[in-house]
Amino acid sequence: MDSIINPIIFYAACALGGVGVCLALPRGKRSVQILGAIIASMAGGLVLLGLGLKSPSQLPNIYFYIFSLISLAGALRVVTHPRPIYAALYFILTIISSAGLFLILSAEFMAFALVIVYAGAILITYLFVIMLATQAPTDEGVELLAEYDTASREPVVASICGFVMLAALSTMLFSGAPSIKPTGTASSDSSLLVFMPKKVENSLRNHGLMKPDEVLAKADSGDGYAIWTAAENSWVKVKDAAGTVRTIPGSEWPADLKVKNVEALGFTLLRDHPGSIEIAGVILLMAMLGAVVLSRKQVEIDEDAKMRHAQRLANPDGTTPEPNTAGGAR
Amino acid sequence: MISLATNLAQTGWPVPMAAPTLSHYLFVSAAMFVIGLIGFLTRRNLIIMFLCTELMFQAAGIALVAFSRYHLNHTGSTFVIFVLTVAAAEAAMALALIVLLFRRRESLDADEFSDMKG
Repeated sequence: MDSIINPIIFYAACALGGVGVCLALPRGKRSVQILGAIIASMAGGLVLLGLGLKSPSQLPNIYFYIFSLISLAGALRVVTHPRPIYAALYFILTIISSAGLFLILSAEFMAFALVIVYAGAILITYLFVIMLATQAPTDEGVELLAEYDTASREPVVASICGFVMLAALSTMLFSGAPSIKPTGTASSDSSLLVFMPKKVENSLRNHGLMKPDEVLAKADSGDGYAIWTAAENSWVKVKDAAGTVRTIPGSEWPADLKVKNVEALGFTLLRDHPGSIEIAGVILLMAMLGAVVLSRKQVEIDEDAKMRHAQRLANPDGTTPEPNTAGGAR
Repeated sequence: MISLATNLAQTGWPVPMAAPTLSHYLFVSAAMFVIGLIGFLTRRNLIIMFLCTELMFQAAGIALVAFSRYHLNHTGSTFVIFVLTVAAAEAAMALALIVLLFRRRESLDADEFSDMKG
């Protein structure tokens, strides 16, 4: 832990962050909330700065600080904003800056999937439900907030528990992380090229390394093509029309003949975890069925209400017209 | 630590951010998780409580992708795809339930539904 951040700074910042988040949670007074948000963001900045300052020569990517500050501030605002719509919008901000963090980690596919699935699909569902399910009481054109949005439940206890947990988690992570050894090597990705003869062939052809009458040679074992990838010693064998075999060493391969992030992810997904895809499909199907079953009930109520409304319209004598809202029949 | 740095140098991960970076990402992930947890415990609006669970999913995703990059395989990223799947399924179900509950009580207050406890 000492080699990563000064423990005193870290625990002080944790305490500060706890106080800040506790103050920033929704309550009657808006000025207290702003003060709390400032304290909490100062604490977050202090920790990130402390993480960087401990070893000035090892400053991580500056974009890491920008994206992580934005995502943590957005997360804080999700938790503290009294209006659900704004909380959802701040959650989109958090998602997009997390996608930036994923880009720094060179997980391009996950970054874009995150933006499409989370910001594009899930959050839109949330926004729809917020608009369907909130009827804020209005007073002279000004929307009032519901009581359950402005008052939080036991903010002090929750903040203490949360930040004690953060301190404990981070202590364990910081003392444990340096002893984790990375298992992969740089060449682990390019070994997948063996499974992509078409990509190898196209790339070699486009760069003029293969003549038009040449094709990839079959492997000696009979199945697949003669492509070999290793850290230092890679080669591919090509055969021309006359049957003469020629070897193109890895040192001559074009620079763009690499396995991209999406390709590697696809191979991991489909080759190593095919069962999980089936399970994910079943989960999504069940969720769809569940949502349909749950919302069918509402349709019946609506039909009921419509029928009564139609009857009222048919014989208006003796009945006072009522505003008929969706789901008004209960 | 020196051997770790040289090991990472071969992997294309910029060496200056070698060892500390994993802890940086893990800290961001832990902090985001804790903020989501506090939100889940304190807020009383059902929709925001579910938003906070999504926040915790997101924090777990950051840790998974950071580990996935650190070990230079894609298993962690693959797992995030399944986390996204579960989050989408959960959102669909939970939001359908929330709409039904709102129609019943005209309120999103979680405390309104405390009469369900035995």
